[in-house]
Amino acid sequence: MAIDRRKFISRCAKCSATIAAASIADTSSLISIFPADANAELPRADDLSRIEARHYKKLEHLEIECGICPRKCKISPLERGYCGTRENQDGSYYTLVYSRPCSINVDPIEKKPLFHYLPGTTAFSLATAGCNVNCKFCQNWDISQVRPEQLDNYDLSPADIARLAKQSNSPTIAYTYSEPVIFYEYMYDCAVEGHRNGIRSVAITGGYIQPDPLKELLKVLDAVKIDLKGFTEGFYKDYVQGELKPVLEAIKIMHDEGKWIELVYLVVPTLNDNPEDIKRMSDWIASTLSPDVPIHFTRFHPMYLLKNLPPTPISTLEELFSTAKKQGLNYVYIGNVPGHEAEHTYCPQCHRILIQRQGFTLESFNISDSKCKFCGNKIPGIWS
Amino acid sequence: MAKSKVIILKSSKITGEPNPADVGHLIEMLGEGLMVLASEQKPQIALNEFIPPAKRVGIKPNCLTGKMTSSSPTLCNAIAKLLSSSGIKEEDIVIWERSERELKKAGYQINYSGSGPKVIANDSPGVGYGSDLAVYGKVGSLITRALTDIVDYHINFPVLKDHSLAGLSSGLKNFYGAVHNPNKYHDNNCDPYAADVYSLPVIKEKNRLTIMDCFKIQYNGGPAYNGSYAINSNMILISDDPVAIDVIALQILEDTRRQYGLKDLKSVGRYPSYLKTAADTSHKLGNFEIGLIEKVEITV
Repeated sequence: MAIDRRKFISRCAKCSATIAAASIADTSSLISIFPADANAELPRADDLSRIEARHYKKLEHLEIECGICPRKCKISPLERGYCGTRENQDGSYYTLVYSRPCSINVDPIEKKPLFHYLPGTTAFSLATAGCNVNCKFCQNWDISQVRPEQLDNYDLSPADIARLAKQSNSPTIAYTYSEPVIFYEYMYDCAVEGHRNGIRSVAITGGYIQPDPLKELLKVLDAVKIDLKGFTEGFYKDYVQGELKPVLEAIKIMHDEGKWIELVYLVVPTLNDNPEDIKRMSDWIASTLSPDVPIHFTRFHPMYLLKNLPPTPISTLEELFSTAKKQGLNYVYIGNVPGHEAEHTYCPQCHRILIQRQGFTLESFNISDSKCKFCGNKIPGIWS
Repeated sequence: MAKSKVIILKSSKITGEPNPADVGHLIEMLGEGLMVLASEQKPQIALNEFIPPAKRVGIKPNCLTGKMTSSSPTLCNAIAKLLSSSGIKEEDIVIWERSERELKKAGYQINYSGSGPKVIANDSPGVGYGSDLAVYGKVGSLITRALTDIVDYHINFPVLKDHSLAGLSSGLKNFYGAVHNPNKYHDNNCDPYAADVYSLPVIKEKNRLTIMDCFKIQYNGGPAYNGSYAINSNMILISDDPVAIDVIALQILEDTRRQYGLKDLKSVGRYPSYLKTAADTSHKLGNFEIGLIEKVEITV
């Protein structure tokens, strides 16, 4: 289904979050298996939330310092942090997006993408407005780079989210589309409510988060997909408005804490596609994390503030795929190129296809008891 | 390079927020200032040098802090009356802010379609933001339709206050209220962001004047109101150079800080370097060098 994004944005000014939900997350195809009219019945919010934020310090003169992300915003009364979703009101810090998702959808888990996590299942997916970076290539900027009052939001408590997830027969809640770090409190409480109802939680994040809140959060998450946006500080500074080092530290913490992680690297032609950087990144993954951590090289499409570049050539994706494989990574994928042979999972030992995919659909599944059906090799992931 | 004029209007009759009964006096003050700025003999002709008649004119106050240090509704009323006496229909005057809540808290009455100037906000029905991203330098934003679609010319109507991140929050910084994502533009003391926002063509081309309300100066602890560091004053600044007027505002802020025993903004790590950036060769928004600014003090 093709969507004219320009028309969408034009229509979207203060309009239906249901439409927003259907328009985001992927540029190549859109799938919603949540009944089309279901969102229409969900309650709408006519205000923002005012729930005290976690992880902040009170300073002199009623200022506060946010402790959620490495930006450590210092915020005066009446002002908000970089994310636009947390506000200092009289010297206390509040999240404005608790129970205020702007996007609700049920997606295949492959769309996140998480390829080694409950393949073929769905994720009840949600986002609020806001983000703690400002990537010039953001695919979802119309919700991530706006303030919550500029969208129509739902009024859904964590208990509501757990109930709706269950109703949709999704085994997982996914915090996704924008940047869940900025709706930390809501994500955390939804994950707790989900677990109470037998539903797991995954975060789809840029990983720009401080160690302490991250460690606390990991206790209630089951898997994390991290968008590693480049492998140089220069790229993070110029095109992400963030920093690489804290992201790498966060990824290491996630791995050290035993959480299942997958990495996505959106390849932006001429800006972060240097094979030498990919070689260094692959070495870092293999040595600091594990050669078994999957990495997805995904195709860029011109968007937001980077409309002057072409889509990533497939040959570039294939070159980087080969570079990562040569450096010893076992599970390397190419994404946003439907039908490409590198969207399947192969056994690193016998090289047979373990999971055959066509877009977000599974065509075959050859893993049993976490092992390759053909050669018995153990395949890392969460399979049941 | 031509010098820029910044008019410093003073009145012994005004200290702090003016009484609504002072409108006539404020109109007189503004008229005197505009005549000097435009080198004209009549206030209306002077104003028309900047704002041609028969056009829709926007006025952007700064209403972040409620009644204490927001742009004065009484002074705004004086500006509107002067505009209407110079050929602008009252209903073509549009006073706008980020949110209706902020306008109301500062003492403005929302007016979508009644008689008199319109008073609207970016979150008013039918306003919102345009759908096209405007891009300049490090800035990429949607701009309020108040500026893109509703008005032809514009008067910036800021206050003079300290800002915990920007150092100075006055004229250039006031246009953060015109974009949908101001929270993205506070790093590095707002440099170059404040200069980049003003350089967005719709702002740079439509804004013709800055009239700065200095009736209350928040010289430390801003941008919110902090009574320990706010003083009453009797000044209004006017200029058609958006950089020069902020440079003079900065002088006043630094002088006041010194007077009350505070360190200068550079020493406390928040010098508003965006002012120099605004005058550089890629922005060319006005004059930063003090030698290129002519200060004219007028007491009315």
